[in-house]
Amino acid sequence: MPSQDEITHEVIIVGAGLAGSWAAMTAAQEGVKDVAVLSKIHPLRSHSSAAQGGIAAALNNVRPVADTGPRGPLEQIPPGDEPVDSWELHMFDTIKGSDWLGDQDSIEIMVKAAPEIIYTYEHMGCVFSRTPDGRIAQRRFGGHSAPRANYSADYTGHVLLHTIHEQALRHGVNFYSEWYCLDLNVEDGVCKGIVALEVLTGKLHTLRAKAVMFATGGYGRAFRITSNAYANTGDGVAIAYDAGVPLMDMEFVQFHPTGLYRHGILMSEACRGEGGYLTNKDGERFMERYAPDKMELAPRDLVSRSEQTEIDEGRGIGPDGLGIHLDMRHLGREKILQRLPQIRDLAIEFVGADPIDEPVPIQPTAHYSMGGIPTNADGQVLANADGDPLVGFYAAGECACVSVHGANRLGTNSLLEASVFGQRAGRTIANFIQDGAKLQPLSGNPGERNQQHLRALLDRPGKENVEDIAQELKSTMTDNCGIFRDAGRMAAALEKIGALQERFKAAKVMDKSSRFNTDLLAALETSHLLTFSEVIVAGAQARTESRGAHSRTDYPKRDDENWLKHTVAHKGEPSEPPILSYKPVFIDWERYPPQERKY
Amino acid sequence: MSNNGSQPTVTVRVQRFNPDIDKKPFLQEYRLTPQRDTTILDALHEIKTHQDGGLTYRRSCRHAICGSCAMNVNGRNMLVCNVPLRKHLDRRNRVTIRPLPYLPIIKDLVVDRSSFWEQYLRIKPWLIPPDDIPEKEFRMSPQEVAALQNAEKCIMCGACYSACTVVATNKKYIGPHALLKAFMRVLDPRDATPGERLKEVGTDEGAFRCHTIFNCIDACPKGLDPTKAIETLRQLAAKRQAFEAARRERQKSLAGPVPVSE
Repeated sequence: MPSQDEITHEVIIVGAGLAGSWAAMTAAQEGVKDVAVLSKIHPLRSHSSAAQGGIAAALNNVRPVADTGPRGPLEQIPPGDEPVDSWELHMFDTIKGSDWLGDQDSIEIMVKAAPEIIYTYEHMGCVFSRTPDGRIAQRRFGGHSAPRANYSADYTGHVLLHTIHEQALRHGVNFYSEWYCLDLNVEDGVCKGIVALEVLTGKLHTLRAKAVMFATGGYGRAFRITSNAYANTGDGVAIAYDAGVPLMDMEFVQFHPTGLYRHGILMSEACRGEGGYLTNKDGERFMERYAPDKMELAPRDLVSRSEQTEIDEGRGIGPDGLGIHLDMRHLGREKILQRLPQIRDLAIEFVGADPIDEPVPIQPTAHYSMGGIPTNADGQVLANADGDPLVGFYAAGECACVSVHGANRLGTNSLLEASVFGQRAGRTIANFIQDGAKLQPLSGNPGERNQQHLRALLDRPGKENVEDIAQELKSTMTDNCGIFRDAGRMAAALEKIGALQERFKAAKVMDKSSRFNTDLLAALETSHLLTFSEVIVAGAQARTESRGAHSRTDYPKRDDENWLKHTVAHKGEPSEPPILSYKPVFIDWERYPPQERKY
Repeated sequence: MSNNGSQPTVTVRVQRFNPDIDKKPFLQEYRLTPQRDTTILDALHEIKTHQDGGLTYRRSCRHAICGSCAMNVNGRNMLVCNVPLRKHLDRRNRVTIRPLPYLPIIKDLVVDRSSFWEQYLRIKPWLIPPDDIPEKEFRMSPQEVAALQNAEKCIMCGACYSACTVVATNKKYIGPHALLKAFMRVLDPRDATPGERLKEVGTDEGAFRCHTIFNCIDACPKGLDPTKAIETLRQLAAKRQAFEAARRERQKSLAGPVPVSE
């Protein structure tokens, strides 16, 4: 492996999806001259582009047609008419969706910033779908009490990502495309930079910066059926944890109700937002029994549990009974072609079902990581449950936990969160730089340490297949720490993860070359899966209640007396379990005290 | 996977090349037993993870939105994530996968897209809005949005660029992907600089270099039509000043409601 080389920037951001690109563009706009963004894949390949249905904001562009019921048609609101939506409603829906685990101060910041961030996207060139009078079009989404999903057909994330990337380029941000972050350099409680692998050459670089930000995305690849990209291996989360940064609320993993059967690929919630039904093998709209009011537009945790119950009780569809039908036929050809074109293509390509003519087989799919690196609302990473800052280190987006989604995220709030808190982190970083932050000298030699680690990984003969380890992990996570959990299954999962971590020590990297070694990357990514999966299960095992996406058959009730708090996990000694501590949830007891959560 | 019985064994032929080791590219054969819904990407993944970890390609999203996995399959450029393997097998149950043509090979199926991105940057892909920004959104009619859909769905995968015979011989050519993006900006009523853009692309390195061979349309995995966009750019370049004047006029009412037609 070639020798290392040192690079410095004022700001280094890892990850080029919405959160990272917003932060980079904002810092550059605010006058920071030297902003660099590193991404293991080209910025436009980031998984933000896979978001489909919309981005939430109470713009009051449309309303339900009077007297047509909760699933009736929408119309543009005539000028001068009363608004139907507000940030307060958006806030309440988000809090209720989070099962009261979301921090209400952060939620308030997000929902109040929402309209402006949407307008900013629009002013930057994002092509939204429109109402007849030219305003941004909106649709319904699960758990939202008003139509506030602002959309671009069913490829909203794609247009947002391209827009923000273009603007980051316009403002002179430097991109390191296909550079893989290996390590976070923290010394004496201060973050001083990272170590990264230049994928093309295999060369290691120590990068120093005044401020480092992680915007590395989620960790859904730890599950067998997932909507997540190959890239979503939770690298940033695992790297931060290994560097001594805590992780918060990792046990909260969202299963999206409509992943394509066997593939897990996302069928947007917009399918149901536009009026699609879910049916079991008897053709019954079973959501009547689980959420009589909201039906298919109940929040994702509830709908996925309902589907899984139907499947477990023998009412699933397909030869193995593991599917559910998503029926959109009644929407009609024109609406499907106009509003759900990508969905239709995917259903035809992957399961051979044209939603115009037949129901699409789907199943719950691991989708979103509510937990992550704890931050305050300014993107500053917190070093512990007391909320002390980790100087020089920032995070936003799915890898972070601010926490606005709490125990369950509402659809369309993730694009919003990544944008709002990415922007806020960018401002915080700009202030930090302009207030005179300095490049900190490194006393250790992290480059050398990482070089030796990689060398060892490549040189050892190895006998364990990396993919087999990853697959066994995904199976145990899905079967034992998935939609439904209990103490026995989670104990089995922890034991299995421990055994897999042990086996990984003999994992074999087949490709020994320096140039573009994606086999080596896969091994590193798998080690990350093994690292954070243990934290997911440990947090879930300790949390003896059911809340949002964390549903325990042995503790089926929410327990506010004991568990209205965030899990904060620190890495323990080698071979020891994570050290758990807890942090109170920010609740405005006057306005939004916890209530029973019914839909 | 009882519902998804195994198919007969197939041969996947992949072009290999590591410039550090190999003198020239060569075809390597792998055999595997796919399932009915195995995609070409699934097949590559199976080969890489269980037969040959050195086999190198790009991939990420698995559903045709990230643009990583454009390759050449049996002579045609496509994304490999959303196409079933069985549909691309010949009579002898073989499929042949090569990197995107006309681009330098980094390793195996990974190509160097530098020239592709340089042209993308050259046309300034970002919107340049007018000076007056409204408090809320600019108003655009559904028809104005529909006119951009041919371009906004582009995922920058490079399938069109590397299928273009003009690109093959002339790397100064802006290329179908960047011209499609330029089309999107020129047609967008919010863009304040359509005249400058038309000047940049209305040259013989741009829209007038296209030979209308339609390879780009055939290659596009999103069903887009760069040739038509290039044709539009040619027409608009010819009446650039009138188009600029019309844009200035349109921008006067961008903050107000779109008049309802029909």
